[in-house]
Amino acid sequence: MSLTSRERVLTTLEHKEPDRVPILIGTSNTTGIKMPAYRRLKRLLGIQAEDNYIYDWPELGTAALDELTLRRLHGDARGVLDRFPEWVYRRNQARPPHTTFVDDWGSGQTEIEPGVWFPGLHPMADATTVEEIEKYPWPDMNDPSRVAHVKEAARRLAEQNQYAIIGTPWLLFPFERAFAMQGMDRFLLNLGMHRDFARALLQKIAGLCQTLMGHFLREAGDDIDIVKIGDDLGMQNTLLISPKMYRDILKPIHADYIAFIKSRTKARLFFHTDGDVFNLLDDFVEIGVDILNPIQTSAGKMANLEELKKRYGDKLTLCGAIDTHRILPFGTPDEVRREVKRVIDTLGPGGGYMVASVHTIMHDVPPENILAMVDAVEEFGNYPSRTR
Amino acid sequence: MSEQLLSAMRQSIVDGDLDQAEALARQALEQGIDPLVAINQGFVPGINTVGDQFGAGEMYLPELMMAAEAMKKAMAVLQPEMTRRGVKRQYLGKVVLGTVKGDIHEIGKNLVATMLSASGFDVHDLGVDVPSARFAEMAREVDADIVGVSALLTTTMTGLKHVIDALDDMRLRPRVKVIVGGAPVTRDWADEIGADGYSEDAMGAVAVAKKLVGVPSKE
Repeated sequence: MSLTSRERVLTTLEHKEPDRVPILIGTSNTTGIKMPAYRRLKRLLGIQAEDNYIYDWPELGTAALDELTLRRLHGDARGVLDRFPEWVYRRNQARPPHTTFVDDWGSGQTEIEPGVWFPGLHPMADATTVEEIEKYPWPDMNDPSRVAHVKEAARRLAEQNQYAIIGTPWLLFPFERAFAMQGMDRFLLNLGMHRDFARALLQKIAGLCQTLMGHFLREAGDDIDIVKIGDDLGMQNTLLISPKMYRDILKPIHADYIAFIKSRTKARLFFHTDGDVFNLLDDFVEIGVDILNPIQTSAGKMANLEELKKRYGDKLTLCGAIDTHRILPFGTPDEVRREVKRVIDTLGPGGGYMVASVHTIMHDVPPENILAMVDAVEEFGNYPSRTR
Repeated sequence: MSEQLLSAMRQSIVDGDLDQAEALARQALEQGIDPLVAINQGFVPGINTVGDQFGAGEMYLPELMMAAEAMKKAMAVLQPEMTRRGVKRQYLGKVVLGTVKGDIHEIGKNLVATMLSASGFDVHDLGVDVPSARFAEMAREVDADIVGVSALLTTTMTGLKHVIDALDDMRLRPRVKVIVGGAPVTRDWADEIGADGYSEDAMGAVAVAKKLVGVPSKE
């Protein structure tokens, strides 16, 4: 049997085996490809397409993949994103070259080498009091230009009925937004030293995220299949904060946010969280996460795919697990191929797994390896699983 | 000096209690206690405990950072008295530390700085996005024993090799040892570029640094 991409994804989300393991690529920043890698890929494929950036945001550097490339990569989903308010684009287009890109929150990307931008502007770095939160000029989440295109984009894809549709309003991640506002180390320290402030900041941000998410979902309606949110909570071998602190401060915020989303759409909840988050997986299940991403196999207990599948395979759809630390940038195409087979053999049986690179595909990933990844899914990802 | 006071100092660091650490340091000075004794027998064992707990996954970043802040508060009180008495902490060695050019990730590097400093190294932190020549210049300027370099991206990892080259160019190798780290860095890669040490985490980095300067680690 051959399914459409959308059926393939929806079947695996039911924890049933579709015709093959679905592939998520190029649907948002997380599963995206950086521009230099995309250019090399197009050249190898002989595809003529414009160099567009997602969110029209060159400083982020992630390519908006053209449809031909997406098809060649066997991408089974398409993304619907929000936009910065129009004034943010106007202001940044008018700014002197190489100066900091400032977003609607007042945080920004600084160019540290020609063409290389990092989050370097943290407008609330020194804040430690609730008064400072109250005084801060927070962005207007009701600006209609943020979501003006969403209804049409989602409708068009839904009518086409070919690909799964993933809605990703940009970085509505409360914890990470707090890092952007304060700098990661400042905010982590404040979680310890100024707990009430840190909690109030997270709650303020979560409220704004929720407002924009409400507008996004009103426009997208039930045309989207998946809504992506997240917050990076893990490091290489442990969590950024203790499970106790997560449960006390952040989990209630995530739970509220997810309940809000689920009250407004039937779409599944896709939760992106980097690093070793194994010790929080029960919490994620409890608050309504449906899809866990990116399964960073280079990080601590996330390497144990057998255990992950055994304990959570029926509760969470797992998405990701194709290593970006070693395999994709430094492996040979054959090593990529064998790694994809290994991961599919472990996570694929019974459905509930979607292939994706762990992080954004960076400049240094050879195009041959990107093709090796997706072609290996065609080769080894067909159901019924041979390993069952 | 009373065991009770030393124990309270240790606990103030473990608790990340800045006010308490500062108050105990003042109390030590008022009682005429040698600041070096307060540091080495009071506060440093506290930060060592914190490091062990962090390494064992029993403590997390916010608590570790608070402990480091408490340590700084105590040191700020004790330092002027040390200067006045003309005494210096005996350092295990001098370390120049930074994140490579093109990379501004700093949490991991800061952790290493905190733990090295707490463990008795004299740490010169160059920050992030540091040109390779700057590592070498600083190493020469402070007569460093070790240069520690971090990279968090696969695309900036090659910068680690450039730092080693820069040290070579200034003829500082092999006397100055190089430790590398960061999420994508592996032992194999460290060996390949000729680094002297590699660690996956901050506590490991302390053990490697101690080994390189010839100090036996416990364990």
